[in-house]
Amino acid sequence: MKWFKQITIAALIAVIGFSSVHVADAASKLSGKIVINGSSALLPLTLQAANEFKKANPKVKISASAAGSITGPQAVRKGIADIGAVDWDATKDVPGFKKFDGQVAHKVAVIPFATVVNKNVGVSNLTTKDLQGIFSGKIKNWKDVGGKDAEIIVVNRTFGSGTRVNFQDKALAGEDFMTKGDNYKEVKTSGDMKTAIETTPNAIGYMDLAYVTDKMSALSVNGVAPTEANVINGKYKVWGYGYYMTKGQPTGAVKEFIAYVQSAKFQNGSLKKLKFIPISAMK
Amino acid sequence: MLESSVAARTGSKPSELGGSIIAGSGKPFDRKKRLFAMNRFFRYICIASACFVCLILFLILILMFRTGVLTFRDISFADFFFSTNWNPMEEQYGALIFIFGTFALTALTLLISVPLSIAIAVFLSVFVPGWLKNALRPILDLLVGIPSVVYGYLGLTVLIPMIRNVTGSGMGDGILAAALVLTIMVLPTISRISDDAISAVPRKYSDASYALGATRFHTVWKVLLPSARSGIMYAVILGMARAIGETMAVVMVIGNTAQLADSLLKPTSVLTSNIVMQISNVPFDSTWNYALYLMGFLLLVISILMIATVRWLQRKGVQG
Amino acid sequence: MKSTQTANPFQGVGKMNRLNNRVFTLLVWIIGAAAILFIFGLLFLILEAGLPNLTWDFLFGLPSEIDEGGGIGPTLINSFYILGISLIIAIPLGMAAGIYLAEFAPDNKLIGFVRICVEALASVPSIIFGLFGIALFVEFFQIGLTILGGAVSLAFLNLPVLVRVTEESLRAVPKELKSASFALGGTHLQTISRVLIPAALTGIVTGICLVAGRAFGESAVIILTAGVTTSGEMWDFNLFSPGATLAVHLWYVQSEAIVPDAQQIAQKAAAVLVFVVLFINLVFRIPLWLKARKMKG
Repeated sequence: MKWFKQITIAALIAVIGFSSVHVADAASKLSGKIVINGSSALLPLTLQAANEFKKANPKVKISASAAGSITGPQAVRKGIADIGAVDWDATKDVPGFKKFDGQVAHKVAVIPFATVVNKNVGVSNLTTKDLQGIFSGKIKNWKDVGGKDAEIIVVNRTFGSGTRVNFQDKALAGEDFMTKGDNYKEVKTSGDMKTAIETTPNAIGYMDLAYVTDKMSALSVNGVAPTEANVINGKYKVWGYGYYMTKGQPTGAVKEFIAYVQSAKFQNGSLKKLKFIPISAMK
Repeated sequence: MLESSVAARTGSKPSELGGSIIAGSGKPFDRKKRLFAMNRFFRYICIASACFVCLILFLILILMFRTGVLTFRDISFADFFFSTNWNPMEEQYGALIFIFGTFALTALTLLISVPLSIAIAVFLSVFVPGWLKNALRPILDLLVGIPSVVYGYLGLTVLIPMIRNVTGSGMGDGILAAALVLTIMVLPTISRISDDAISAVPRKYSDASYALGATRFHTVWKVLLPSARSGIMYAVILGMARAIGETMAVVMVIGNTAQLADSLLKPTSVLTSNIVMQISNVPFDSTWNYALYLMGFLLLVISILMIATVRWLQRKGVQG
Repeated sequence: MKSTQTANPFQGVGKMNRLNNRVFTLLVWIIGAAAILFIFGLLFLILEAGLPNLTWDFLFGLPSEIDEGGGIGPTLINSFYILGISLIIAIPLGMAAGIYLAEFAPDNKLIGFVRICVEALASVPSIIFGLFGIALFVEFFQIGLTILGGAVSLAFLNLPVLVRVTEESLRAVPKELKSASFALGGTHLQTISRVLIPAALTGIVTGICLVAGRAFGESAVIILTAGVTTSGEMWDFNLFSPGATLAVHLWYVQSEAIVPDAQQIAQKAAAVLVFVVLFINLVFRIPLWLKARKMKG
């Protein structure tokens, strides 16, 4: 009977496999057009998901662009985009931005953020208080936080950046950023931040953990290093969810696309490779 | 198309042409009338195109103006133009910093780039032998095609560390870095068009000048440059326009901090960089957004003023 | 030179002149040589980082988000496609409008104002044209982020420069040529098409090259009107596909991409961009050189 069981299982697997192919076939009849706009930090994820989704559903057209987080829900409200990618929950008020009524937020990824400094800064840990002092302009010299005698150069993201909203909320506990000073500058994108931190001595900034390279040092906050494990076990607090906003509950191709991004296959595969953390990992 | 059809028709013999047309239709359609009609047709096409171009441009103006004036619903005229306090989080929309920054940056850029580019134009059009000229001109054109993102990146990674080393300042971002990057960007525009203008001066002028015993310096200074002045002015205007309007590269090296640039090395912000930094990050129907559109419109007004000034100076120069 | 100096009756002035002339010549040579060295240095810096590593796989491969070795194929094709469409729209319109301003327009205040406005619009940051493109194509016509929208917005961006370059070049043609053509009984159209335009061609072609180069490197307009994605297929000529160009891809790779070889992709993409601009220049210029040679021979 053993061989019979084996054959049955094999047949079952074959049938399931076949039917899943069949399902994919059925899904590939899905057609429509999806326009995605919004956060540039989520763009690599969106592009990758779009590529994979298009392979399974050749009739669906996906065009994605990115300008800034707030563009996402705004474009959705105006009806010029089906999905708005945003780095905070746009159905709630955050500092500087009002909530968007009538939109539904779908969590798609967990984004950890890291505080980074130039290699020449000999500091490896800062407390929340230090960070508040530095980014509000009250602490101006590295020696005040245990470093050498050199002026701190603060690099900030421009207003409206989702990374900035999250960093202010989680790392600075809501404390306001400085707005002017001889050693203060703002940059537009994560890439610019990366270049600025890598090339400017005594500089401090912050970015998604995914962008941290070995040409800069990522700081521990309150003694906890910014690692994926520390985010998952709840010790490292500076992280946020990435969201897809839709006008009401999504339907058709848009619904399928969001479902695909949230599926275990994508979350544990490509999304992990892009150095985001799957939403299922968080309790 | 027009050219070839005219050539084909005027090329054929009148008698044959007339004969066939007379045979084919009642009225003779003679060449004069046809040319006349073609002329008129061509003229209408040109007028229509000009109107279309104007329509598009005015639509853009209207878009910017209509959105921009909404700013004054919430803040006063004086606040916008004469306050240096730009802090949208607290409803402060003073644009003086950016207006000043734009003027300062453009002036500094022109100060460096105009003498340099005219020297390069003279070098190309007068000094260099023909074959080298033909090789060098496309290379200059090439500099225009380098995307501004690349210029910005080079500015950030090569120029700013250099400025930091030379001046000993902590950051290096500011008006000076931006002006140097812009100089490199407008150099090809100004020098290539000036070069064309100088080359277009009829040869007999410089021949006559040399024949009168003038040195090369004299010929260039007193004959070629004055004769080519209109073209050079146009080149400067075009370069200036690019300097005022350039964004992607400036954003990367100017520091983007809303503070008045009282030093060449202090991080600051100009109209364009501020628009580009913030326009994609503000709510659509906020005073902030309107203020950015107004700044775009202002940018246009500033360049119109600057261009008018240059033209006025030019006309005054011609008369005096 | 020497003979002219000895023949010069004003000896004192001659000495001054000679000194001025020397200083001037030296100065121009130094600036010229320095500029050329600088340009070659810059080009070397860009090309050296990218060109040696170029492969066909890179040029025609599909971009990748996760793994190394992504290509630029669809974006490269989009670049040419969008540039082509925008030039097809912008050149005839811009030239015709330029001809109107130079030849037909009455010399009054209104036309003077239009002229200044056109010039000023060349200084508007390209992002404004991008916003206009959004207002027109995405919001008004509702076609989304497409190649068509990007190309037309790009054409609008280039119109002011083309109009003014055409007008300036036509004005630079010596009056004698025009008078001669009229005196021979040429009509206005004949004069423009057979005398003025051929004589002004060098200037117009320079303008077109400048514009094409700028359009090829433009990213802000395309990001807003054509998106950052491509359709993900090679040789997609659908006007309604999303149309990221090479410059946009460069921006994306430099600012947001997570792929480990982002830096190399950026360097190679920059090198390709510069190379293509050189190529465009050659394509437009070679006919001019041939013509010049024919005229001489």
